[in-house]
Amino acid sequence: MSFNGFSHSVMGASHVAKGIVCQDSSAHKITDRYAIAVVADGHGSKKHFRSNIGSQCAVEATIETIDRFYEDPDAFEENLPKNHKMIIRNIERQIIAAWNTKVMKHLEENPVTAVEKKPFTQEEFEAINPESYYGTTLIAAVAGRGFTFGVQIGDGSFVAIFEDGEAVMPMEYEEANPANITSSMCNANAASMFESFYIDDKRPIALFSSTDGLYTSFGSEYDFRDYHVILASQVNSPSLEASVVKNITKRSHFGTEDDISLACVYDVEFAQEKVDLLKEMIERNKKLAAERKARLHTANF
Amino acid sequence: MNNNNNEVKENTTVDDLLDFDDDDPLGATAVSKKSLVIFFLIDTSGSMKGKKMGQLNTVMEELIPEIRRVGEADTDVKVAVLTFDTDVKWMYSAPISIEEFEWARLGAQGVTSMGAAFTELAARMSRNSFLNSPSLSFAPVMFLMTDGYPSDDYKAGLKALQANSWYKFGLKAALGIGDEANDDMLEEFTGSKDTVVHAYTGGQLAAMIKIIAVTASQIGSKSMTLSDETNEELSDEDVYAAKQKMLGQQIQELVGDQTDAGDVPYDTGW
Repeated sequence: MSFNGFSHSVMGASHVAKGIVCQDSSAHKITDRYAIAVVADGHGSKKHFRSNIGSQCAVEATIETIDRFYEDPDAFEENLPKNHKMIIRNIERQIIAAWNTKVMKHLEENPVTAVEKKPFTQEEFEAINPESYYGTTLIAAVAGRGFTFGVQIGDGSFVAIFEDGEAVMPMEYEEANPANITSSMCNANAASMFESFYIDDKRPIALFSSTDGLYTSFGSEYDFRDYHVILASQVNSPSLEASVVKNITKRSHFGTEDDISLACVYDVEFAQEKVDLLKEMIERNKKLAAERKARLHTANF
Repeated sequence: MNNNNNEVKENTTVDDLLDFDDDDPLGATAVSKKSLVIFFLIDTSGSMKGKKMGQLNTVMEELIPEIRRVGEADTDVKVAVLTFDTDVKWMYSAPISIEEFEWARLGAQGVTSMGAAFTELAARMSRNSFLNSPSLSFAPVMFLMTDGYPSDDYKAGLKALQANSWYKFGLKAALGIGDEANDDMLEEFTGSKDTVVHAYTGGQLAAMIKIIAVTASQIGSKSMTLSDETNEELSDEDVYAAKQKMLGQQIQELVGDQTDAGDVPYDTGW
């Protein structure tokens, strides 16, 4: 098993225009036992005025937590398949605890300034929990020896391409309904708001985590999935990373103008072995998309 | 670790990054703009037969390019048309981008199953159905047009609709065509008097449909997160309440400017 990966965050077109900093963070880590792709989307609204720091803390906390669980890799690889529900729940709790420690340390070292307090009345400011200053989502995907798992809190997407070349989304996309409140690392009951998945009967070609700016730049979920098959077919191309940065910049500019982060880990040899299958899947997906479009444009009258 | 790690590098401009490159497999993937769905609920019962329906078809054909202009800048307006007579039917099987939308001319027959139309709309206004596009960014616009009173239990349908959160947060407007349309019932649908208008003549019908559809699309696709007066962040509830109020005010202003000298009233001239 030889993994590789990439991670990129681009600033939203609307944030550039308003002079706001990028609220997204992303990272990936490759070891000889596992590979992790993680992204986080800081909420960015008024009371989450340090969410760019919050998202950075979230990706760091996640990688550090997974590293800790892998301190004894043989034991972890033996135990996870037997007791994945409990262990993943424990990972989620540890990520929250590590994130809380990081943001509280940041706050201690960097007390809230008069400029940061200015938009609030004293009463309003006192009503905000300090964790909320750093509010963020988190999506992490881990490929290990013989298993794949992921954890997520808040919106954003996880897409896996397994050995059959299909793009699957094992975690449900959180509905951005107008009445919905996004789950966040800063919620008091954050540990109970995580979603997770665990798969050990399929070998992954590539795993992708992305913030919701990527998903919302697509017209349909089919297109979103098909995009990841194209990505998976290109992972061994030396020009892929430049192409990803260019493409997500374009998607932010012409799409929802939000920050976009995309992190990926992939199995180098398996992706090479399956490249013809992935190309076939791309052609099949194009045909299916054309059929869907033709059906849609047939009037019922 | 990346936090906006992709600042544009020296000698690379944003325009370079935005160039389309045909050789890049990712470059060929389509980017969707923020989108809004406008639902037209159209009475196609027997009483609409003849000039009313003929004119409505013509107006709707003319309206499409006008709505296209609303979306040109940064919003993809999608259209879904639900007709109701004895049966309830969608013109297309899902909302279609205004850029690709073609009006299919409607006929008229049968009774007015408006309650069934409300129930159908409530079922389709869901992330699992007509509102499933990832790029959907705004609550929908719902525009009801009718010339008469429902022949079924519209209150049961309206109750289903009122339980739908997209309905609650969406923009609602209604057009009563001719003397028989019931304003109270239309107001029950929109939730306010200001967003109910009447057309008594062919000229008014054309003007009102255009005013409502274009104004609602413009307001519906507006990003409103801060209050103009206080510069405070608005909650979702406040945004949609502000939009519905703005729609009512603008409709009333524009309707007040309309003149119909020489136009023939429906109920005598049709």
